[in-house]
Amino acid sequence: MSPSPSPRRLAALPLLLGIGAVALLAVLPKFVESPYALHLMILFFLAVIMGEAWNLIGGYGGQYSVGHAAYFGIGAYTVVILLQTKGVAPWWGLLPALALAVVVAAIVGSITFRLRGPYFVLASIAVAEIFRLAALNWKTLTNGAEGILLSDVPPLVVGGTVVTNFVSKVPYYYMGLALSVIVILVTIWFQASKVGYYLQAIREDQDAANSLGIPLTLYKNVALMISAFFTAWAGALYALYVGFIDPATAGGLDISVQIVLTAIIGGIGTILGPVVGAALLVALSEALRSNMLTDLLVGIGLVDGSSAVGRFLRDNLSHAHMLIYGILVALVILFMPDGVLGAIKNWTRKRQAKVAAGGPA
Amino acid sequence: MTIFLQSLLSGVLIGGVYALIGVGLTIIFGVMRIINFAHGELVMLGMYAAYFLFTLGHVDPFVSIVFVFPLLFLFGAVLQKTVINRVLNALPQNQILLTIGIGLILSNTMMLLFTSDYRIISTSYSSASFQVGQISVSAPLLVSFVITAAVTAVLYWFLLKTDTGQAIRATAQDRDAAQLMGVNVRRMSVLATGLGAGLAAVAGALISPTYYIFPQVGQPFTLKAFVIVVLGGMGSVMGATVGGVLIGATESLAGAYISSGLKDLVVYVLFLLILLFKPAGLFGKSRV
Amino acid sequence: MIPILEIRNVSKFFGGLSANSDVSFQMEEGMIMGLIGPNGAGKTTLFNCITGYYPPSRGEILFKYERVNGMTPDQVCKRGMVRTWQKVRPLAKLTVLDNVVVGALVRTNSVHEAREIAREQLHVVKLTHRSDFLAGGLPIGERKKLEVARVLATKPALLLLDEVMGGLNPAESDEIIQLILDIKKSGLTQMVIEHDMKAIMRISDRIVVLNSGEKLAEGSPQEIVSNPEVITAYLGEDHV
Repeated sequence: MSPSPSPRRLAALPLLLGIGAVALLAVLPKFVESPYALHLMILFFLAVIMGEAWNLIGGYGGQYSVGHAAYFGIGAYTVVILLQTKGVAPWWGLLPALALAVVVAAIVGSITFRLRGPYFVLASIAVAEIFRLAALNWKTLTNGAEGILLSDVPPLVVGGTVVTNFVSKVPYYYMGLALSVIVILVTIWFQASKVGYYLQAIREDQDAANSLGIPLTLYKNVALMISAFFTAWAGALYALYVGFIDPATAGGLDISVQIVLTAIIGGIGTILGPVVGAALLVALSEALRSNMLTDLLVGIGLVDGSSAVGRFLRDNLSHAHMLIYGILVALVILFMPDGVLGAIKNWTRKRQAKVAAGGPA
Repeated sequence: MTIFLQSLLSGVLIGGVYALIGVGLTIIFGVMRIINFAHGELVMLGMYAAYFLFTLGHVDPFVSIVFVFPLLFLFGAVLQKTVINRVLNALPQNQILLTIGIGLILSNTMMLLFTSDYRIISTSYSSASFQVGQISVSAPLLVSFVITAAVTAVLYWFLLKTDTGQAIRATAQDRDAAQLMGVNVRRMSVLATGLGAGLAAVAGALISPTYYIFPQVGQPFTLKAFVIVVLGGMGSVMGATVGGVLIGATESLAGAYISSGLKDLVVYVLFLLILLFKPAGLFGKSRV
Repeated sequence: MIPILEIRNVSKFFGGLSANSDVSFQMEEGMIMGLIGPNGAGKTTLFNCITGYYPPSRGEILFKYERVNGMTPDQVCKRGMVRTWQKVRPLAKLTVLDNVVVGALVRTNSVHEAREIAREQLHVVKLTHRSDFLAGGLPIGERKKLEVARVLATKPALLLLDEVMGGLNPAESDEIIQLILDIKKSGLTQMVIEHDMKAIMRISDRIVVLNSGEKLAEGSPQEIVSNPEVITAYLGEDHV
């Protein structure tokens, strides 16, 4: 048993480091022009936003929703449909998208939050499936399995001047960066607020929390609504950036699992866990996709490039996303359930205990 | 009226197979209190096993269950011993995440090995049917229903009359009490997983003549299996049997009267309604 | 004196089992009521009914004249009734201070204010030195004290303590007894489930004895101790 520093107040050093990091990221596009690098950063930001958003209800609240794709899809489809069919600019279309996601979250929460642990997980998956099937079948609205291809995003005009034409990746980069910062700030506020305290009490022991005056469904809903809000926003951003949306991408189990994985691999219930998870997963994803991993294995001599194994890896590893994700989920749950950051925390706590007990540092 | 009877009948027939899948899932939950989200993938493995036995060994799919059951029983047992056993005391949410991961590993490994190409088993009787009055009955569905009934009967006999079966039931009812009575609960967990996997695979083999076989085919089965098990009551074999037939019928009727694209959706909405209003299910007593 | 709590003909059935059977009694403000009885007598079940963990099958529970049977635990807590648990339930991954803050937040929306209240209560139970430790790492005696601090932070009018001395050594038990008496001095009403007879005799103004779900006897400690039925049912065990 060892003393732990209060997790609530933001210490000076991390704050300075954070501001420094954001400043660096803000000027990055001035020095880095490679569209590929910007693309990776945009993917990273999207993953951060979705991971942090999930973390609010999953990490702090202990309610593992494996159906967050529903909110992602609502955000994506609403903005795209309004743009394509009614010509509504995405920054206006975002408002009903976010509102819809929040309302749906409240309804889903009210129905499913009375269920404990694994039943809630199942229900969340069922809800996402319902949305995916609805999107698949409501062809008049969503174009079904074909999906919707975005025509051009209208230019953003503020006070007569064109801010951006959305042609390059740079505006998406800044939107991603801004939203990531916002979500992290929201998380920092959240975990030290009454809502955050109550959520964590619910996570630790629901019945004890209830007996201390906490209305369970109400607070879980609040967390879920905030989570859905930002997940939908990420969905909208994704759809604009990629320029295409279909039920499989927007509503499938794959996205839901990726979101959960981002949070748990980094460390659920920590402020920066999802950031670590996002970095790891985007890097891994790209390494897979670009055959970097196969090249590495060949390069260090583990695999002969011309052998059957080598060719197999080269042909297939880039598509092995979900397989790797499945393996990662299993590995994290089995060996590192507190994630990377959690493992580090536990390790430092053990070291502090050792030192306090007079052992070697 | 004919449409009603027709779809009701096919629904009941397929429901028998669904019941088998549900029973496997409920046994696993009953004994280990773990929600196996990889269950649909076990069905998928059974389908592929039947497919390869058919194409490479010319074994009729219905006969293949003799090989498929022990094969997947072994697989399930090994899975339990090596992986699932480690999380018996973990948070339930973590347990389900693990099984989700296992499901992804299984389906994506199959995709890597065998591509996503649809495979079919064409037997001489694949599209055979006969008429009963106005209603057309699919021969393979009928045969699989009969086999399912036989397998279920054997299962009930096993659970009710044999020592091992009763030990499994005791463990499902109260793990600690069973352990005190001398039951090797670890062994029961391994057996239960093997049994659940074997039953799921048999179900897969039975429907393989009438379904497209591809790596992702398992996913809807998993969710459906859960609807069945929740409807019947988590841990209740009787409940899963009844639930399977009910869900099969509901799905078939929904497909006939609403649309075949939406029949899955109807089942999932039903799922949420059950969770809302009667989470303990028809025969269950656990606090959800 | 105000009957702060009225239990009227409360019964609780679980299937065929009657865990509580037609139990009735009243509590006055500021008193300490001891609730005793052999294992399985229905004491914790009664606590659960009173605090809304589940509703009674029959009967009524009135708190300050208001019907509370059927309310949820959080509603009951807001009205001023709160309980500790027979098997302690610390919020393990939160610090000791944060545990009590959670309790305090039922009365205020300000986390800052809640922390002040929490520090006060930790001082009362003498756990200040553990404020920044994770609750999950505390030994049993301190966990029990933490739970008391946590419920005190909810500023209750009626405190239900379920075997708060269970598993403690004599020194720790004495601390708790003193704590209970101090709490009484501040005007709180308390109902205490306990197996430790010496402690019950010391602190209780009145005692209710349950046996097999029914109320066997009610009276002053002296009356209870000399009641032959109670002696047969309960005091035959060597709990001193």
